[in-house]
Amino acid sequence: MPTILKKVLLAEDDPDIQKVAKMSLKFAGVTDVLVVENGEECLAVAGREKPDVILLDVMMPKMDGYEACRRLKEDPDTKNIPIIFLTAKAQQFEVKKGMSVGACGYLTKPFNPMTLHAEIVALLNQAQKS
Amino acid sequence: MVNPLEVLDSLDAGVLAVDRQNCILYLNRRLARSLNLNREEWVGRPAADLARVVAPVITSAESFESQLLWQTGEKEERSRDMEWTSGDSVFYIREQSRPLRNSSGKIIGRVFTYHDVSREKTVDQMKTEFIAVASHELRTPMTSIKGSVDLILSGFAGEISAETQELLEIAQNSCDRLIRLINGILDLAKIEAGQIKLNPVPLDLREVAERSIRSVRALADRSEVTLTLDEGKDLPTVEADKDRIEQVVTNLLSNAIKFSPPKGEVRVELKTENAWVKCSVIDEGPGIQPEDLERVFGKFQQVGDSRRKGGTGLGLAITQALVHEHKGRIWVESKVNEGSRFNFVLPISPAKS
Repeated sequence: MPTILKKVLLAEDDPDIQKVAKMSLKFAGVTDVLVVENGEECLAVAGREKPDVILLDVMMPKMDGYEACRRLKEDPDTKNIPIIFLTAKAQQFEVKKGMSVGACGYLTKPFNPMTLHAEIVALLNQAQKS
Repeated sequence: MVNPLEVLDSLDAGVLAVDRQNCILYLNRRLARSLNLNREEWVGRPAADLARVVAPVITSAESFESQLLWQTGEKEERSRDMEWTSGDSVFYIREQSRPLRNSSGKIIGRVFTYHDVSREKTVDQMKTEFIAVASHELRTPMTSIKGSVDLILSGFAGEISAETQELLEIAQNSCDRLIRLINGILDLAKIEAGQIKLNPVPLDLREVAERSIRSVRALADRSEVTLTLDEGKDLPTVEADKDRIEQVVTNLLSNAIKFSPPKGEVRVELKTENAWVKCSVIDEGPGIQPEDLERVFGKFQQVGDSRRKGGTGLGLAITQALVHEHKGRIWVESKVNEGSRFNFVLPISPAKS
């Protein structure tokens, strides 16, 4: 896994969090941060763009993050793209649910914009090892 | 003189008694009616037959049978909730059982009671939903506020003046405090709603204390406070949730450090006391006024200087609730100008048979 990610797809419906996460990743050196607002758009963009990682919110209109994650993992075109939940759903059972639909990591809001990229890379490395 | 059986028949709860061979001794009117049974036919029959009759309406028939056929010589009290279906509706029944004793105290069987707890279950589910929604709705705006402030302070949006930096640091500290508060309120709400799942394992409190000490080491160094551990001899294990007990000890330790004078000492003392393992966290801080001792464990009851120390007013309430969840006890002893000693005890793990 590279130390700096090139292309990240962020599925997040809150415009403020979109901006903060995007700036935070750009600050860490990510060249391309693609932003979508719901699960449906996420499926379409993921298949086309093949990002290094997808950051997925849970509560989104049209299609929630759990469903999007399930579908991404079913689709041969996208099943190998690692998915990390980035969500305010921080309770134990919610984390378990996220991991059970195929995500390789779980980050909770509020996240620290100064360490977000490093945390993503650490989760990806951890997932690669196991 | 009232007939005790009439009293039992008037209860709005099912009652069942079995002998030591697991044959039915008695079932009250409420239970017979709920299961549509002629009770005269059932007295003397094996409880296993009853389990078979009940099987179609209960989602966990096997476990119902295993519980009903419990070794009736057991002294333990048991409680569990079962989901029952009746037509299209689902309801929840709480079964509680304890030994049935004769007048000389000898165990002659087991008595079971069945209460409809559907309403409590609905309220519990509502609380769970509320906690989930509140958690999500509060965290989302906090993410943008904290994220933006952190990014500006990092210099991402350009250079900032010393005054701007100072003001933003105030906002950042307040954000962190608000996040701690939100987490605390949700933690406490979960504990109070009985929604935290403890994972009890045989636990060595010495190891827990060592880990907690490691996690507050940086805070102690900054405050020039020395941390020591008096680990006691041959400490037995307790049956407890590792993370939650570590949370208890860490919280007591960080409180003790916050209130310690520079160059002060905070000591963790572990020892066995009768059927308990006792953990004390002792500081040399300003102590607590006698009139405040009672309320330090209350919610938002910050006494003395604690608001200025950046506390949320929930730490000790959560600590107390966690100790109580483990069937332990927590209390404080303190002398003004000499220091405080926060103690908690947890029951020693039952010996393995």
